[in-house]
Amino acid sequence: MAKRLKVANPARCIGCYSCMMACARTWYDTISLKNSRIDIQTKGGIETPYVQIVCHACIDPPCMRACPLGALTKRKGGGVNLNKEICDGCGNCIEACIMGAIHLDAEKKAVICKHCGVCPKFCPHDVLEMIEVEDSGEIKVTDTGPVEDTSPTSPTASHKELYGEKQSEEEK
Amino acid sequence: MTTEQYAIPGLTNVLYIDLTSQSYYIKDRRDLYEKYLGGIGVATNLMLEEYKEGTGPLDPEMPVILSTGPLSGIYPTCTKTVALFRSPLNGELGESYAGGHLAMSMRYSGYETIVIKGVSRYPVYVAIHDDKVTFRDASSIWHLSSAIDVGKILREVEPGAGRRSIIRIGPAGEKGITYASVNVDTYRHFGRLGIGTVFGAKKLKALLISGNREIKSPEHKAYRKTFSMLYDTIVKTGLTEKYHNLGTSENILVLNELKGLPTRNLQAASFEGAEKISGELFAEKYLLRRVSCAGCPIGCVHVAMLKRQFSKAHEYEALNISYDFELIYALGSNLGVADPEAVLELIDACEKAGVDIISMGVVLAWATEMQQREKISTTETMGLELSWGNKAAYLRAIDLVVQAPNEFYSALGKGVDYASKKYGGEDFAIRLGGLEIPGYHTGLGNVLGLTVGARHSHLDSAGYAADQKIFNQPISDEQIVDYIIDEEDRRNVLNCMVTCLFARNVYTYENIILALKSIGIERTEEELKELGRDIFRKKYELKKKFGFKFENLSIPKRFFETPSTTGKIDEERVKRAIEIYREKRGV
Repeated sequence: MAKRLKVANPARCIGCYSCMMACARTWYDTISLKNSRIDIQTKGGIETPYVQIVCHACIDPPCMRACPLGALTKRKGGGVNLNKEICDGCGNCIEACIMGAIHLDAEKKAVICKHCGVCPKFCPHDVLEMIEVEDSGEIKVTDTGPVEDTSPTSPTASHKELYGEKQSEEEK
Repeated sequence: MTTEQYAIPGLTNVLYIDLTSQSYYIKDRRDLYEKYLGGIGVATNLMLEEYKEGTGPLDPEMPVILSTGPLSGIYPTCTKTVALFRSPLNGELGESYAGGHLAMSMRYSGYETIVIKGVSRYPVYVAIHDDKVTFRDASSIWHLSSAIDVGKILREVEPGAGRRSIIRIGPAGEKGITYASVNVDTYRHFGRLGIGTVFGAKKLKALLISGNREIKSPEHKAYRKTFSMLYDTIVKTGLTEKYHNLGTSENILVLNELKGLPTRNLQAASFEGAEKISGELFAEKYLLRRVSCAGCPIGCVHVAMLKRQFSKAHEYEALNISYDFELIYALGSNLGVADPEAVLELIDACEKAGVDIISMGVVLAWATEMQQREKISTTETMGLELSWGNKAAYLRAIDLVVQAPNEFYSALGKGVDYASKKYGGEDFAIRLGGLEIPGYHTGLGNVLGLTVGARHSHLDSAGYAADQKIFNQPISDEQIVDYIIDEEDRRNVLNCMVTCLFARNVYTYENIILALKSIGIERTEEELKELGRDIFRKKYELKKKFGFKFENLSIPKRFFETPSTTGKIDEERVKRAIEIYREKRGV
């Protein structure tokens, strides 16, 4: 089953950068924000809501069409796969992506999301989630019932039943 | 430990900035990092190196040191930066911690520690972008009416959005109010002991730092594993629940119930209006959103929205204001303010001025009592009548303290210790070690912790927690002293890392050792504990140089008159406990 990353609840972002660190840690073996394929940005400091810049898993990706060397190929479920060997860092894909979801790493190779699903695991606030899509990348209609209740009593709310085993604290 | 084992880049550099000559240099100081790991350990030793006998807090040669630690930017909730300076408020050890983006920005810029010395001839701000350090004229933003507006402007003129930290002062720091704060990324602060005043004296309006370097762990697999374990402990257990639920303001009702919430200048320790300014009420009625420091999944920064109508034609302005327990105590219960919107407005006024809110609250509470006891009149206050709960008067008073139009307000701007020595009312000027007290009146542990603490802060040892222990089961005074000593040492270790103290129960000795090991640094529990004790001794060495003497300590009568959580505090008992502490500590 093909999956892709979705910014499900952007307004719940607290700007902890855990997703970015997880991405760089997993795919670049580094501790940094620089080589993350997902980008959490501020627009006007912390005073205004955070912006999550992620690959939108295009069905017909402009970045792929812009690549003169064929380093980018269609990914099952939308978006692209990058062949690092071929990429020469020309930057055409960066220009083509109006999301701003692509940049170059220190070796001048494109940094592009592969929708692996690591970042949602490190999102404490359900901002990010993986959704099922058609192999073509088309959104699949799976939910036909009433919209999920995300009020505090809902089992899907953030920090779901996390504090059942609340440990005694030295101080209240 | 050999140098080669420091495979983690950084943990070597100290950036020295001289504002007088507008120059800088970078020095490899792995000698310090190897021995003291970072944070308060490195900062304390640098201060001992830099301090020249007799240098005053605001003299050009007096340094301000900002330092991060080996875990900063690497592990979750290791988000604090320590600032070390000499306090212009009490002349003593100035030590303050702030979160925001600063630690991560410093770490990823490759400068784990920054030493700032000298004084600029005109207002400047310093911008650090990786290896580029520039000094820029800040004359146009000097006198800007708000610490918050400074951020708005610098965000436009400097690059690095989302990866940078902007720390800045407001008018209070420029004008020499001795408890001016440094605002860090709008919602966090180096709050206490007047670091903003030191910035002001140096004509340093702001410092902006952005970094985009990578750090590599020599044992990446181990690092990933440890990271996940710590992340899960923070996010999925109850250890930090308080902070990602109501936040510290949860304590308003808790302390009120325990009769340990200073009220109306500590004339009482519980407040009849507590329900109205409780963390629960703020969360339900005003909480707009929560944000995090960079690298922390907790999200403890509680931002309230105050919607204010300003015309009959349904016109509104909306203010975003961050709140916490100490602020609600200082501008709420301790000023008799039982209106949550008034508390938010008072917080906002202090934020714009750029002052330590705890100190400002205590100063205003003392002034109110002085006026009620007719020890001062409207002559001193220039016609203003201060009374408990009077928001309008307090809003004006905050402005007047910063503007200092006469001798009285100028004295208020020098702290409650100074003002009470000049105008009287020392017995109810609620400060310990010259620092206005935080929001606890829980008993011996609290008074002792604040009095002997290296920086007279509740964060030195959390003496109130010892009192809460007594509340549940009686322990001897000596055990309280032992508790405080252990806690001081442990916090010194945490402050080398530099973790947020909200995660202190996540970063146990065991977990610190594991976290260090996973990035290639070997330490045993005994070595860490000895480090904590060593830092304690060095801090006291510094304090001595700054003129601290136990003999000069006095505790205002008010602390012994108002019953605390654990009953009336006996003066002799406190004195004895201090003696026990000195004997055990050898100070």
